[in-house]
Amino acid sequence: METSFLTWLLFTPLLLSLAIFAARWLGRYMRPAVETIHLVSVTLVFVLALIVIGQVMVSGEILAINNWLHVDMLGALFLLIVGLVGLLAGIYSIGYIRHDLQIGEFDDLRLTTYYGLFSFFIFTMLLSVTSNNIIMMWVAIEATTLSSAFLVGIYGHHSALEAAWKYVIICTVGVAFGLYGTILIYSDAANVLQQPATAVFWTEIVKSAGLLDPTLLKLAFVFVLIGFGTKAGIFPMHSWLPDAHSEAPSPVSALLSAVLLNCALLIIIRFSIIVNDGIGPAFTQTLFLVFGLLSVGAAAFFMFVQRDIKRLLAYSSTENLGLIMFALGLGGPVGILAALLQTLNHSLVKSLMFFLSGNILIKFRSRSLDFVKGLLQAAPLTGILLIGGALALVGSPPFNIFVSKFLIISSGISAGYPWLIIVCLLLFMVAFVAFLRMISSTVFGERPSGVVKGDVNFLILTPAVILMALIVVIGLYIPPQLSTLLNEATKIVMSAHPAILITGTNFLQNASGQPAGLIQSMILFSSGFPAGW
Amino acid sequence: MLNANLINGLSGLLILTSLLVIETRKPRWSALLYSAQSMVLVLIFLALAVIMHADQLYLWGASAFITKVVLVPFILYRALSRVEEAETPQNMLRPAGSIVLVAVAVAVSFIVVNQIGLKSAVAFKPALAVSVAHFFFGQLCILTQRNIFKQILGFCLMENGSHLTLALLAYGAPDLVEIGIATDAVFAVVIMVLLANQIYRKLHTLDSSELNALKG
Repeated sequence: METSFLTWLLFTPLLLSLAIFAARWLGRYMRPAVETIHLVSVTLVFVLALIVIGQVMVSGEILAINNWLHVDMLGALFLLIVGLVGLLAGIYSIGYIRHDLQIGEFDDLRLTTYYGLFSFFIFTMLLSVTSNNIIMMWVAIEATTLSSAFLVGIYGHHSALEAAWKYVIICTVGVAFGLYGTILIYSDAANVLQQPATAVFWTEIVKSAGLLDPTLLKLAFVFVLIGFGTKAGIFPMHSWLPDAHSEAPSPVSALLSAVLLNCALLIIIRFSIIVNDGIGPAFTQTLFLVFGLLSVGAAAFFMFVQRDIKRLLAYSSTENLGLIMFALGLGGPVGILAALLQTLNHSLVKSLMFFLSGNILIKFRSRSLDFVKGLLQAAPLTGILLIGGALALVGSPPFNIFVSKFLIISSGISAGYPWLIIVCLLLFMVAFVAFLRMISSTVFGERPSGVVKGDVNFLILTPAVILMALIVVIGLYIPPQLSTLLNEATKIVMSAHPAILITGTNFLQNASGQPAGLIQSMILFSSGFPAGW
Repeated sequence: MLNANLINGLSGLLILTSLLVIETRKPRWSALLYSAQSMVLVLIFLALAVIMHADQLYLWGASAFITKVVLVPFILYRALSRVEEAETPQNMLRPAGSIVLVAVAVAVSFIVVNQIGLKSAVAFKPALAVSVAHFFFGQLCILTQRNIFKQILGFCLMENGSHLTLALLAYGAPDLVEIGIATDAVFAVVIMVLLANQIYRKLHTLDSSELNALKG
């Protein structure tokens, strides 16, 4: 029963994607049919993802289809992100694409292509998150590029086609490095494992990671980091990201930024677990720290000079993915947990911000900071949510990213990297100024003439309101189920350090078992100071 | 050893065909030369299947023949027949420069492969080095060619390199893995060709240096 839900979760969006393409021939019933199938697809994915996560929380992990599929607590966290953001971006799409149809940006052909590829894109991301076969992980990530390329270029403008071309070329070339890393690990595992046929499964390689050749592990991880790091938008392989994120329709931008980057990140984490088990964590942590901090730094300055709202948000994704990598590099239970919490938090906030950038496009038909003014007048709720979202992104309380950023800082100090933390904080300031400028420029002032007063419709606003509610809730109170998920996922990433890990510890609960929020992270922070600070 | 020499020799032939694919001025000829190169790859798969008693490599050879010798070159040739030859932009590198870079890629690949202690590939180290070098030839083609169709061919060369590495090091992987990789490769070419056609129809150029609207 457990395995059947996982199998259905994977194949539902694939089958419904085909159904959407087939609905092209339904004549005048095509539009309602396509929208209905699309909504059924994203809803079923969300519900099935929750069921699978529930099963994993009971049994620890699920293996299906002869071990080809695998979901543990770490995978469950990423599954939650795919399901939730997929559902909200799916609902948002309905209103957004109806508007595009209204203004002539979309026709019936583009409509079916969009919704068909949307579900197919979700399928490829689910495959990458649930795959236990390391070569299939690569196949799935490559498939995410192929399924989303037309979504990026769907408007067919000069800039959209350019973005789609760069996206396909850079990601295909970059991710090919990942294949080399994958082959090296598989080949070595096939030599040392008693049953070479199982050497392709992550769960089996992890068990025998200590037998793998240390030099090969290092070489393979460098390839993996370059390859999948390209897809995760890590500097300096990030150059496709601002173009693709800014030119895609806003719901797709949300999926790219909040889900796709995380899928590649999960694979990097999975390989780092193998390498850490084999040769200890020092090698991967050093690479994570270097690439993470470089990404935060470069992205912060790119954000500072942006005049395009969606490009600014895209660079912010590189900054946040860099921060997650930096936290992974800091290591220790708090650092890893902070990285995973930041992954979830960033996904929620960034999808909110891309939805709001879509609202701005609907109202102003522009993404330029030089044109978009007086948002509070033109679309008051969108304006208020944009202020909240920007504050959340820069790590202001009481929003969720405050908690994860606080944990990252505390873990950095206790790990003995005070100078790196100071550099990081200075870079946060640069990003803060970039967002402050965006808010002061767009939200306040007089709206341009020709921009009608009145917010976008209910259907478009609802997903953004739901996201904002989640962002505030997680900032103030982390539900016990999420806390358990994060703790167990942390333990999986920390599997190479049993001496450090305290079994049964719940890093997000206090002594009385109450879930932690702001106050608890302060306590964690203060207890994390090393002697001498 | 004679058998291993056959594999290593055929791999050397891949270098020659790669240079021809990169340097041939007419992209349609490049597509045909790519087909010829893929045929060499198929022969290597078959030879490996015999030498290593790896029956699954017969399937790899068959799928590579269908996809790389026939299907992909056909798609590329047909697409290139529709665009005007006059639009073909110049390369960014002279042929002599390409040859030097190819030689450097081969030398570096040999050094790297010699450092790797993979037991399964001891007899085929030259072939392994060529496969890794091939991967870099593809990148070289993508970086130095301004014609977007030649960039697609660069991807194809890169893919042939990684396919050979896969056959040398991971032929024991389940068949479904090979099918997945082959499907990805074919769809990648189809999607790139469709995008290239859209770019040509919209912008009336095949020159990647004119794709410069997005910066910063």
